[in-house]
Amino acid sequence: MIGNDVIDLAQTRRESNWQRRGFLDKLFTTDEQLQISNHINPETIIWTLWSMKEAVYKIYNRQTGIRAFNPKKIVCKFNNTNIGTVSCNEKLYFTRTISTNKYIYTIATISKKKLSEIIELQDIPVIKDLNGLPYVADKNTKMLYPISVSHHGDFYKIAALKIND
Amino acid sequence: MEKQQLIQELKIIIKPYTTNIEAYEALNETTDFIKDLNINSANLVDIVLDIEEKFDIVIDNENMERMLDVKTAVEIIEVKLSAK
Repeated sequence: MIGNDVIDLAQTRRESNWQRRGFLDKLFTTDEQLQISNHINPETIIWTLWSMKEAVYKIYNRQTGIRAFNPKKIVCKFNNTNIGTVSCNEKLYFTRTISTNKYIYTIATISKKKLSEIIELQDIPVIKDLNGLPYVADKNTKMLYPISVSHHGDFYKIAALKIND
Repeated sequence: MEKQQLIQELKIIIKPYTTNIEAYEALNETTDFIKDLNINSANLVDIVLDIEEKFDIVIDNENMERMLDVKTAVEIIEVKLSAK
């Protein structure tokens, strides 16, 4: 199980005003809001936490089939390393976030070990099932492997788990 | 407020957040905010905040969680308005 989420920072500045009254309160738990207000660069931590929630939601949605928009139920713990732990309804996930001045990118999976087995794919056809969930097909065996796709502004990322064979 | 009128009010709120003009023009009760209108999930919060301001209601997390399509949004607004 894998999830990813990329955020184009220039695009978020056009699309969202995080300083809007009530905005942070609808997206983030009290602890997360405290972390944001204590952070030297609120914009970075806001979109880091948001990309963690989005990446984890993709796994949660795939695991459970549940569609829901309740970002505060996805609880992020993020220290100053790039590794985070995220929980959602008793399920635990691990994330790694890359942050540059252009984009923020998070990958998520269900075990810490698997985090290092995530690879990025490029220029590969994405196949979607009836629920819109993405896969890639192995060229030789035609077997389908679950992937996660994220597109925002100028950035397009496909993440997959390395296949051990 | 009549349901059709509510849908029209909602349509005005949604406009700045959608990129799919065709689906927007055809908006009806079954329209899904994310799947049909391509609304980015951070902007779903803006829609919820706009609805709160426009109708002077409070949408709690339990209701926001279900607010993924026009039909549910209208139902939630109707219930909140009738409780005022």
